[in-house]
Amino acid sequence: MPAIARGRPFLEPAYCKGCLRCVEVCAKGCISPGKSICAETGLIAVELHLDTCSGCGLCIEACPEPFGLRPESEVTRHAQDYQLEDPAKLFGQKPSEQAPPRDRPPVKIPLPECEPLVLKGNYAAAIGAVLAGCRHVYGYPITPSTEGAELMAKIMPKLNGAFVQAVSEVAAVNMMYGAGAAGVPVMTFTSSPGFSLMLEGVSYMIGAEVPGVFINVMRGGPGLGNIAPEQTDIKLACRGLGHGNTHAIVLAPSTPQEMLDLTMEAFALSFRYRNPVVILGDGYLGQMTGSVRLPPYLLNPGLPAWAVWGDKAHRRNLICSIHLSEADLEKHNEHLNAKYAEIGSNEQRAELYHCEDARVLAIACNTPARMTKGAVEEARSMGIAAGLFRPVTLWPFPIDALRDALTHVEQIVVVEASPGQLEDELRLALSHAGIAPPPIASVRRLGGNLPQQGDILACIRETQEVHA
Amino acid sequence: MSAFYDHFARHSHGQGLADHSTHYCPGCGHGLVHRDLADAIDELGVQDRTVLISPVGCSVFAYYYFDVGNTQAAHGRAPAVALAHKLANPEAVVISYQGDGDLASIGLAETISIAQMGVPITVIFINNGIYGMTGGQLAPTSLMGQKTATSPEGRNASMGKPLRMAELIAQLDGPVFVERVALYNAKQRIKARKAIAKGIRLQMEGRGYAFIEVLAECPTHLKVNPEAAEEWIRTQMEPVFPLGVKKDAIVEPWFHRPPPSFDPDIILALAGADRAEAGSASAPARHASGNRDRSFKLAGAGGDGAQTAALILTRAAIAEGYDSTHIPSYGPESRGGTSFADVHIAEGEVLNPSAARPDVLIAFNAPSLARFAPTVAEGGVILYDSTTVKDPKGLPAGRRVIPVPFTEIAAGLNRPVVKNVVALGALQAATDALPAERILGTLRHLFKDKPSVLPVNEAAFAAGRRAVELAAG
Repeated sequence: MPAIARGRPFLEPAYCKGCLRCVEVCAKGCISPGKSICAETGLIAVELHLDTCSGCGLCIEACPEPFGLRPESEVTRHAQDYQLEDPAKLFGQKPSEQAPPRDRPPVKIPLPECEPLVLKGNYAAAIGAVLAGCRHVYGYPITPSTEGAELMAKIMPKLNGAFVQAVSEVAAVNMMYGAGAAGVPVMTFTSSPGFSLMLEGVSYMIGAEVPGVFINVMRGGPGLGNIAPEQTDIKLACRGLGHGNTHAIVLAPSTPQEMLDLTMEAFALSFRYRNPVVILGDGYLGQMTGSVRLPPYLLNPGLPAWAVWGDKAHRRNLICSIHLSEADLEKHNEHLNAKYAEIGSNEQRAELYHCEDARVLAIACNTPARMTKGAVEEARSMGIAAGLFRPVTLWPFPIDALRDALTHVEQIVVVEASPGQLEDELRLALSHAGIAPPPIASVRRLGGNLPQQGDILACIRETQEVHA
Repeated sequence: MSAFYDHFARHSHGQGLADHSTHYCPGCGHGLVHRDLADAIDELGVQDRTVLISPVGCSVFAYYYFDVGNTQAAHGRAPAVALAHKLANPEAVVISYQGDGDLASIGLAETISIAQMGVPITVIFINNGIYGMTGGQLAPTSLMGQKTATSPEGRNASMGKPLRMAELIAQLDGPVFVERVALYNAKQRIKARKAIAKGIRLQMEGRGYAFIEVLAECPTHLKVNPEAAEEWIRTQMEPVFPLGVKKDAIVEPWFHRPPPSFDPDIILALAGADRAEAGSASAPARHASGNRDRSFKLAGAGGDGAQTAALILTRAAIAEGYDSTHIPSYGPESRGGTSFADVHIAEGEVLNPSAARPDVLIAFNAPSLARFAPTVAEGGVILYDSTTVKDPKGLPAGRRVIPVPFTEIAAGLNRPVVKNVVALGALQAATDALPAERILGTLRHLFKDKPSVLPVNEAAFAAGRRAVELAAG
């Protein structure tokens, strides 16, 4: 470090707050409290009398203001004759020779054809993330999602990636915030209580427009609940992502194959919209083993122009969620609302199974959708025109596809391992779309029990008898 | 010139106090530390590499001033954000700038755990003994007897004594450099400058994590003028928070991270994928060949191998071209307890993967048999371990019940753990679910790295089949 001697001080009075820390250090008594209020700032700047100044520089290094007391030499570098210059022009923006950063797009790398893998849903999601180019995984162990984190702990070091078991979910989500801010794909595996803890960070990520993928393998609640499957975080994911005006795309896979496919898709969506994406699985799905085919390519993710990467090109970038003025924050929320609207019209996804002529339409997602598929098949064999509408995006709810599917429907049956959180999403979507729905019946289980095929079939048959 | 912007455009859209002043109160210690930090960044030549993490607290707007990459973090989480920035780009110089509420209260877990990890980041801790931004409340570092908005009668013992962070961090293994400095006179300010620069240099050299605690003045909330605030730090704070180097380990540069790999061959190997080859062993898909879907329940105590057997069944079925699923269910115990597996094998798509009404039950013990035998579908098959279950009562009629001494057969092979493979052999012989050769192929693949245990597994499978064939006469 250079010595502190910096020569005689120079002061632009408007940049002085009159704290007087310089006054006490000057052995020569060159600086005195000011007598007049600065018109620009309303503060009283110190006054310099430099006749006896020895240039020791102690006053300069005692000044807390960046543009407060500065060496004369530094100022005269900018302006040979200060008296003739407009002070406003003295300290203009440094011209930057750096071109603005540009997006470096992801690169597709072909994958050879492979035999189908036999994988647990949690493993399938982890491999999907690896194929999507994710090399940064942060998390905290929680059943029933841990296998995903464990596989990542094994894989990441071998790919020069980072797996960190954080001190808590709170730390983990903020590590995701940091990695996402740096522009790299990042993800976590968690389950309901852990997801609750992460929600503050999710709100920050949405506010600061930071991408990241959350895999929430839902378990029974509230509180510690149990480790069996439930679907009781639908409300959180669709309506309660922390404080403020928040939304994120919520994907609901129903097979190990979809755990892989939708995880890959989640990363793409997360970067396309600069927003977190939530994958809601259930405890069964995370633990379920099934056949999984790999895609024909993997991704090297590139780097977005907005990243705070820590190099010259990205130096001017800022990731933050604070907007102090009301006008700014309103504008930012309008921007977020426009993004949510764009997502709403572009990203609805659903699977329609025997919906063309369905008179009774079952609506279910995740593993319960599979029990429902079994029940629909059985109902069809009994001559009942049943169909399954399976939302793959829970937010945005796939209302456009549902509107078409409702053409002949006389009865809806909502099947869920939740006290009606899926039905609430359905009813909200119907209401916003101005659709008057047919009667809605429900098959609900709680506590880690899933609706069974027999119960669903019974409900379908019962409603048909009513309509007959 | 330092690493400050030439004018502070982000401060109230450039309309902030004269466009060149900070938002800090007159005499605030933050400004001095900002100057030291900006000079250090400039003099070390890392302005283009620096990422500054602004915290929550008075320095939430540090990004108004520093012409570097800026990320603003949630309250207390700056070290977590900093760590991830460093791991994303190991070339970046990452600085976590935090106050006492942020670092020593709400973010204590992040502060300590990330310090202990030791990844090279530089943490600058502004300790002014009070909450500034929220308006003068008690800080974890407030002094005993100090009157604040939330300790109106003064800090007392029930609020705990002030937390000495530099000493706490220094006794961790992770950090390489910890120093507490002050700003109250020219001599201390020089030490502060040097400490901050050293902390950044240690990071640049890949030597480790550095922590610099700065005793800083908050004249506003101490309700005194800046000179008196300096005096308060010197006479009141310093005795509680002694200045000096708390840790200065000599560590060779160690932090090197090669760029991430996207090599498909490595990734496929890690995923356990086998390349498809022309004429490979995998059978053609049987999708659309029918819609038969059979379900299996394998139930026993933890350690019976029900899950492994279920997984082998699923793998073999998928290799045979069927769709297949396996769902495990365990009790809460890590060892022992109950362990049930639901398996489906379907010609088309497995619709419902649970086995509430299984076509086939394998029960390894009496409780499992008693619990699941009544659920077996009409015309289904019940296989149970006749070594452990003697004379079962009340088995449902209309099911084919086959007792097989899984345990005894496995014991006869001097390898009790293969009783689940005995059970698989029995299942294969008792049903036409899958060809024996397909299950054997899956076993061989499973043990390809442990060929020594393959023969006993093959023998167990054959013995299980034979037992059923004998029972059938």
